[in-house]
Amino acid sequence: MTIHLLVLILLAQGALVAGQVFLKHGMNLTRSPVGGAARIVGILLAGIGLLTLWFLLWMGLLQKLDLSYVYPFEGLSPVLLVLAACAILKESLGWKSWTGVGLITLGTIVVGLS
Amino acid sequence: MEHPSPPTPAGPGTPARLHWGWNPYLHLALNGLLVTASELLLKRGAMATAQIPGSAWLDSLGLTILGSWWVWAGIACYVVSFVNWLHVLRWIPLSVAFPLASVVHALIPLGAWMFLDERLSPLRWGGIVLIMAGIWLIAEPLTHAEETL
Repeated sequence: MTIHLLVLILLAQGALVAGQVFLKHGMNLTRSPVGGAARIVGILLAGIGLLTLWFLLWMGLLQKLDLSYVYPFEGLSPVLLVLAACAILKESLGWKSWTGVGLITLGTIVVGLS
Repeated sequence: MEHPSPPTPAGPGTPARLHWGWNPYLHLALNGLLVTASELLLKRGAMATAQIPGSAWLDSLGLTILGSWWVWAGIACYVVSFVNWLHVLRWIPLSVAFPLASVVHALIPLGAWMFLDERLSPLRWGGIVLIMAGIWLIAEPLTHAEETL
């Protein structure tokens, strides 16, 4: 695999994670008194835009590479997303949940490789 | 659940004042089923339209697939799953909801095996078991949290 494609895969994962963080932030604001409607809609649209970018990047990768090659990378998304949720949204997880995230990642990679 | 607690700004709390039908964990489970249904319906539609000779330009864009009702049902499931996902995110932390939503990586191969007659290798069965074990580790402590609400 060339560096070029690896960068594209990481870019796609980054767009997915960022998109979900935007959606979560926007939905958190719907429960907070400081969130104005226009601001919430803007944040949600940014999230939808990032998820669209992820979808297009993913489709582009699938045109160039076999599904069995790209799919295992899908397993990275729960780990990256939980790390982002902890760092940016100040969420926290217990050791049991971290083990669960690890098993899901491993399982997704195995399903993708098989 | 008798004592409604004031909603915390971003906490994991369940909306105690809402009807049970709005329970975010119920909607998270529904999300997994909707995404799985959407993928299986799209695959079914793609298989149904693969044999139909369409015009060349429609074919090159992959648009002949839109002639199948299976595909439109799949798209509808996908749209509903997105709205339903926003409801989930309103109440459940992202670091809990997203890993649990990964259940689709187990449900889609299982659905393909059950409804589309696809074969699963032993390794793939192993992966499905790993994913379900991970889901259990995250979901099981939540059932205790729900009881103490």
